[in-house]
Amino acid sequence: MSNYDVIVVGAGAGGGVAAGVLAEVGRRVLLIERGRELTFEDEPRDHLRNHRYSRYGHNTGPALVGNPRVVVGPDGQARTVLPHEDEYQNNATGIGGGARVYGAQAWRYLPLDFEMASTYGVPEGSSLADWPIGYADVAPYYERAEWEIGVSGDSAGSAERWPRSKDFPMPPVPLNRQGAVMRRGAEVLGWPTVAVPLLINSTPYGGRPACIHCQHCIGFACPVDAKNDSANTLLARARASGRIEIVTEAMVERVDTVGGRVVGVTYIDAEDRRTSASAEVVVLAAGAIETARLLLNSRPAEHPHGLGNTHDQVGRNLQGHYYPGAVGLMSEQMHDGIGPGVTTGVTKFNHGNPDIIGGGMIADEFVVLPIIFWARNLPPDLPRWGIEAKRFMRENYTRVARVMGPVQEIPSPDARVTLDPKVKDRWGIPVARLSGSTHPETVRTADFMQARVREWLDASGAQRIWGSPPRLKLSGGQHQAGTCRMGDDPASSVTDPHGRVHGHDNLYVADGSVHVTNGGFNPVLTIMALAFRTAERIADEW
Amino acid sequence: MLTQSQQATLRALVERLIPADDDPGGWDAGVGDYLDRQFAGDLSHALDTYRAGLDDLDAESAATVGARFCEIDLAAQDELLRRVEVGDVATDWSVDPAAFFRDAAEHAAEGYYGDPGNGGNRDGVSWRMIGFEVTG
Repeated sequence: MSNYDVIVVGAGAGGGVAAGVLAEVGRRVLLIERGRELTFEDEPRDHLRNHRYSRYGHNTGPALVGNPRVVVGPDGQARTVLPHEDEYQNNATGIGGGARVYGAQAWRYLPLDFEMASTYGVPEGSSLADWPIGYADVAPYYERAEWEIGVSGDSAGSAERWPRSKDFPMPPVPLNRQGAVMRRGAEVLGWPTVAVPLLINSTPYGGRPACIHCQHCIGFACPVDAKNDSANTLLARARASGRIEIVTEAMVERVDTVGGRVVGVTYIDAEDRRTSASAEVVVLAAGAIETARLLLNSRPAEHPHGLGNTHDQVGRNLQGHYYPGAVGLMSEQMHDGIGPGVTTGVTKFNHGNPDIIGGGMIADEFVVLPIIFWARNLPPDLPRWGIEAKRFMRENYTRVARVMGPVQEIPSPDARVTLDPKVKDRWGIPVARLSGSTHPETVRTADFMQARVREWLDASGAQRIWGSPPRLKLSGGQHQAGTCRMGDDPASSVTDPHGRVHGHDNLYVADGSVHVTNGGFNPVLTIMALAFRTAERIADEW
Repeated sequence: MLTQSQQATLRALVERLIPADDDPGGWDAGVGDYLDRQFAGDLSHALDTYRAGLDDLDAESAATVGARFCEIDLAAQDELLRRVEVGDVATDWSVDPAAFFRDAAEHAAEGYYGDPGNGGNRDGVSWRMIGFEVTG
């Protein structure tokens, strides 16, 4: 008999939901997380070491030492990178995962986001494809995520773009000055806006208080626990039930098999002890890079290229989001200090743009830390030192509007995760090697969206607008997705439409890896919704 | 960690990177304290570059203006730094002058605009200056 009914690897947005759901319906669950518990007290408001500005490190796992990746640049040169470097494509590790420190935007994907190939055709060299499921399949689980985890938003505004059968459980967070000015600008242009839905309590919800509108939302943990994730909702409930066992600071080395069939996992705990745990079902939710890495590192004799990798699909189509944006110097005060800061989204450019494949959402930005403003938001022709730089900071920190948004990427099969042949992590496990780039169509879309951002800032009264042009690159980061895409055909996908790995009856993926495309929106609500859906299927079948 | 002479040059440099006006300059706001802490931490690898770069800056000043960097007037300091910034130096530097300058400017900004917990931005003085208030 197995030690557990289900083992879940990774306690983030997907894994935390899947583990919580399965424990709640009575399964004995082991949840293994390589990071630690992430409490507010343990995540300092260090402006130089956080998930918005990782100049010298960050405020969660993975540790800078012992967790390298290898990145192959456009020049073909391989370079070993550390977790706080941009090219690492990091996402926070810990109970709750990146969601402990996220900005919490809770967008659903639009119906057309599931039908990109049939809507636009497939550009040469891209792996653009339709999802095997549609919006209607996911909608009930979006609703469940909105209510069980907790989303605040504008129900009527949302219903104009998304078919929805139930309102958000909470009204939107209050408007701030930047949002009010940007809404006026959108009105001038005739662009509809919608309050940005957030996994943040605008009113007390789920036994926790409402947001206090601090200035340290994105990149940091919430001081009053008003930011919602799997840790303070489903996992908290599962822990209370006693049916879940959570091991932190433990690295899963491989998925174990007997005769090619999955029987459990082997992990190394914080004391460097190696343990093999068995289960009826294994669910991988380590993020799009580490889930692919784990499948590739699990290579029994029956599966010499890694589990689920018979057709060389595991690790391909790595995607995230390009974030074209711009900064506008306004004639009036923008910053009033009311966080989280993001309030107002424009979704009319997600689809239907002439000669552009897809598009993206754009929104006003979070309250910006002063050092980030200095590092990223100064005009390109301003000296970075001397009295002029100081004056600019003093006069204009509160007078800029910042707008940006995620662009739906056009995936490339060559943007991929493989195993590095030489570099190993502190446990001796081959590390992820990232190579390739998104399809160049993505840059065209990003250029188009940046022009819309400029148009919006201009109509909102900007005296001057600046921003760096998008460039072709490998994408992943906090929105990483696509490396184990779902599909009906095992030759071109890794999992079935419920996240079950092709060729295995008891191995599932429940994170952004299964996304076929990644929408022109922050992906977390989709990751959560699909995890609910996959967990429900596992509960039905096991 | 630095000699007295290097420390004096560093102070003069930081005061030009973020000069005093109605609001405190970089040094008074604690950039030196920030750097002290970083030289024993994340920037320990940069300490040798700082030592060499500060000596080079002094030598450049002596050769082109006729006195140590901290002794020449502010306008001459700025003029010299504008040359260093683009690598247009007259003496033989042991470090890349443009890279040294760029890094020093960035580190000064980190000490000035970063959180006081990192050792600089004394009492949040730069945040008050720009209007960033922490309310919760």
